[in-house]
Amino acid sequence: MNEDYLWDKSGEPDPQIQQLEEILGTLRYQPKPLRIPAGLSATRRRKYFPLLAIAATVAIAVLSGGVWLQLRSPEASIPAVAIASPPRVNPLPNPLMSVSTQPPVRRKPALVRHNTEEALAAKQQLMFALRLASEKLNSAYRRTQTPNQIKNQHKAG
Amino acid sequence: MKTLFQTKLGALLTGVLLLGTSAAVAKAQGSKLQLSTLDHLAGKASRSVDVNIDERLMRIALKAFSDEDADERAVKKLVAGVKGIYVKSYEFETDDQYTTADVETIRVQLRGPGWTRLINVQSKKEGNLEVYLLMNGEQVGGLAVLGAEDRQLVVVNIVGPVDLEKLAKLEGQFGIPELGIEPAKTKKNDEK
Repeated sequence: MNEDYLWDKSGEPDPQIQQLEEILGTLRYQPKPLRIPAGLSATRRRKYFPLLAIAATVAIAVLSGGVWLQLRSPEASIPAVAIASPPRVNPLPNPLMSVSTQPPVRRKPALVRHNTEEALAAKQQLMFALRLASEKLNSAYRRTQTPNQIKNQHKAG
Repeated sequence: MKTLFQTKLGALLTGVLLLGTSAAVAKAQGSKLQLSTLDHLAGKASRSVDVNIDERLMRIALKAFSDEDADERAVKKLVAGVKGIYVKSYEFETDDQYTTADVETIRVQLRGPGWTRLINVQSKKEGNLEVYLLMNGEQVGGLAVLGAEDRQLVVVNIVGPVDLEKLAKLEGQFGIPELGIEPAKTKKNDEK
C-alpha cells in the first residue's frame, strides 16, 4: 500500500480510502454568503450597572451624613477651653446672661443657643483674665512706690 | 538635566522661603508664652485656674459684649486688637510647692528678643512680681505678668497690643467681680 496518497494525494489510492472520501465529502465545507434573517433587529444592550453604582454611592453618602448630623450632640462640638478649675465669678449684669437664664418664649435653635453659651463662657473667662491682669499690674505699681520713694518725691518736689 | 547652578539655586530659594515662613510664624507667636510647663502644678494646687483664650475665642467673646453698655464698650475697645489671653494661676495649701525651675521656664522665654522687664518687685513677705512688655517699635505688642508668692504662682500673658493705663484702671470697675485671688493681707493694704 502506497501511503503517499494519504500524504499528498500522489500515487495509487486505496479503494477504502476513496470510499471514505466519498462518504465524508458530503460534509465538506461549502462557502456560502452570510444571510441575516429579515425579522432580526440589532438591539443595543444598555449598561445600567455604573449608573446604579454611582446612585447607590450618593444615596449612602447622603444617608450617612444625615445620620451623623442627627447623632452629633451640641456638647460634642464645644471648643476646648481649658479651665482646670472654673473661676468663682458672680453673674455679670449682662443682658445676654439674663436672656439665657429666663425661660425663652421662643425655642432657639440648638446651634444658636450653643453659640451664645460659648460666647458668654468666653466672655466670662476674658473678664476674669483682664481682672487678674489689672489686679497684678496695680499691685506691682503700688509695691514699687515704697514709703522712702514717696518721701523722696516729696522732698524733690 | 539640572546643572549644579540650578540645584544650588533651588536649595537656596527653598532655604530663604523656609526662613521667611519661620520668621513670620515667630513674629506672630512672639508674645505668646509657652505656659504648659506649669501644667504639672495643677495636681499640687488647692485651686488652679487655666484660661486659654485664643484669637477665635476672643472674637466669640467680643460678640457677647453689649454695645449699649458703656463699661462693656470700654472693655471691648481695650481688647479690640488683642489676639489672645492666657492665664495660669495656682494656689497651694503649703509653701514650696513649686520650684525656681518652674518659674525659670517662663522667665527664660521673657529674656527673649523684644521683651522688656518693666517692673520687678522682690519681697520676702509678699513674693516676687514681675511685669514684662513686648515692644514692637513704640507699640506694646504683648504683656506678661509673673507673680510668684510662697503659696501662689500666677502667670498672665496678653498677646497683642494693649493699653496698660486702661488695663490698670479696669480693677474694681466695670462691674468686674472680685476673684479672691489676692491674699487678704494685700487687700487690707489696698483699703488703707
